[in-house]
Amino acid sequence: MTDAAVVRRVLDGDVGAFAILVERYYDRYARYAVHMVGSREEAEDALQDAFLRAYRSLARYEERERFGAWLFRIVMNQCRTVAAKRRRDETRAAEWVQETSEAHPAEHHALREELDRALARLTSEQREAVLLKYTEDFSYEEMAVITGTGVSALKMRVKRACERLRELLMEVYCV
Amino acid sequence: MFDGSDDVLDWAGRELRRPVATDPACKARIMECVRAEAPHRRRAGMRRRPGARTGWASPLVQLGLAAGIAGLIAMSALRPLTPSRAIGGTALGPTVLGDSVVNTLRDTLRFVRFMFVDPAASRVALVGDFNDWGARATPLVPAESTGVWSVAVALAPGRHRYAFVVDDTQWVADPSAFPLPHQHGARRTSVVTVTANPD
Repeated sequence: MTDAAVVRRVLDGDVGAFAILVERYYDRYARYAVHMVGSREEAEDALQDAFLRAYRSLARYEERERFGAWLFRIVMNQCRTVAAKRRRDETRAAEWVQETSEAHPAEHHALREELDRALARLTSEQREAVLLKYTEDFSYEEMAVITGTGVSALKMRVKRACERLRELLMEVYCV
Repeated sequence: MFDGSDDVLDWAGRELRRPVATDPACKARIMECVRAEAPHRRRAGMRRRPGARTGWASPLVQLGLAAGIAGLIAMSALRPLTPSRAIGGTALGPTVLGDSVVNTLRDTLRFVRFMFVDPAASRVALVGDFNDWGARATPLVPAESTGVWSVAVALAPGRHRYAFVVDDTQWVADPSAFPLPHQHGARRTSVVTVTANPD
């Protein structure tokens, strides 16, 4: 059954059919959300809110647009909100505390954790661009629709993000 | 580790494309929330589409509305406590008290009581993402000579981060609740998950 057909079923009153869309898209967008907000718990919150917003807005979905891209835009906006809120929270929480140094992560996870650290050091826009392009495999044209940014600006953003990511990872691991 | 920069990016791309592990209960929780909204529309006497929800107020507004009745509900639902003394205080974990009887709030807010035991404390405050981490916003009230501090707070369904601040200086995460790891130098916080329909 196509996404559009599922949406029609939900709008006709079959609320349970929404589970098909959740099952179809949750795991894929969880990957994006976790990388974007940097915490699994907050990513799960963002996804829950995003799916609920999608459900409430389902009547506004127009079938000429790919449902996955429409839903992704909601997920992306929710992740942006969570990431911004998290930055505010951390700033406020930091006022209460003195900086403490933390132990280096366990060796067997160090490589992967360095990637997460490098990703976190990109700007939010760069991180978003890299994830959309290389993790979610959106075309630049799709990315332009999703983000509201022009194709050439997105190409430049991805290029700079890749350069920065490469630089950060090479610093740590290149022989 | 890597021979060249292209290897680095290729590896990073492969790593980022790996599926991430998520809690399987999350999908069920989404559907629980979706179904909780559906009967709400049917009660209105007409079939409306998801986008047509009415009567929704922002959590901050709801919190403000709820504050006036929080005390009554908290008093009716207090359970006996056996206070304990621990260095630095003991948090007893948040307790969901029950739905408000106010129709406009019923589907959107739950009252959660936060408790903390420290007979030596002069002041205890609850800080969290729901009160903008303000140490003056939500003081806990001590029960007479028991060392038990408590406060009831109206929270929207979802996951909320919180901690306690003792005597304006000491930050204490709730050891009885799910802890979040340190993040960027910030101290530990705890998490309370408020469901829309806990029954």
